[in-house]
Amino acid sequence: MKVFQAKVRYKLHPGYIAWILHRATGIMLGLYLFLHIWVIHHLGQGEAAFNEVMAVVQSPFFHLMEIGLLGTVVYHGINGLRVVFIDYGNLAKREIMQKAVYAVFAVSALLIIVGAIPMARLALGL
Amino acid sequence: MLAKYFGSGRSGAFDWYFQRVSGVGLLVTLFLHFFVLHYATEGPLTYAKVMARLSSPAWKAIDITFLVFAIYHAMNGFKLIIDDYVHGTGLRAILIGALWVLAIAFLGLGLLTIVSL
Repeated sequence: MKVFQAKVRYKLHPGYIAWILHRATGIMLGLYLFLHIWVIHHLGQGEAAFNEVMAVVQSPFFHLMEIGLLGTVVYHGINGLRVVFIDYGNLAKREIMQKAVYAVFAVSALLIIVGAIPMARLALGL
Repeated sequence: MLAKYFGSGRSGAFDWYFQRVSGVGLLVTLFLHFFVLHYATEGPLTYAKVMARLSSPAWKAIDITFLVFAIYHAMNGFKLIIDDYVHGTGLRAILIGALWVLAIAFLGLGLLTIVSL
């Protein structure tokens, strides 16, 4: 079977960084989905079982991890929207493409910072 | 190269298109999920508050839609990654098979949780 060999080094074009981040955040979100379904399934086993598992995931460590979850979700969602507009809009145009990537980074960073402030306060008990 | 054995029926066009459809669907349902849990619900999350919402049929329908979109999108994403990095037909079949088992198991667990409450 013919497999094309990858180039030794890729240029770290913004679009390439966006793609790597999209893939990395996608894997993390997929793993989180399993964890989430497993945690929430304790609802069906009554209040005691649910409270027990919720006590674990509402510890400061998990509250800090949730900031990471916010970051992955926000980035993956906004960049995903960019991908859709590459396919159905005009974001693939040479002069727009990079700007769109930077716009995704900027908007994600802003939303993550705004969201992370109350979450960090909760995690650190401030 | 699973695609080789299925002709145009396995071109990946369905996967490609519905990754976008489910992605946009997830943006809507996830925003709703996030907003309801973090802004429309006051204070710490308790069993009673979650049960009150989840016992309504409309919320069950919304959550089932959300679950199906999420499982589909995640599994299709994992399959895409397997397609990119795993080139051997045998290993690929094993991994994609394992993905199907995981997807069905967690879809079942999620559906059972939503429906039984």
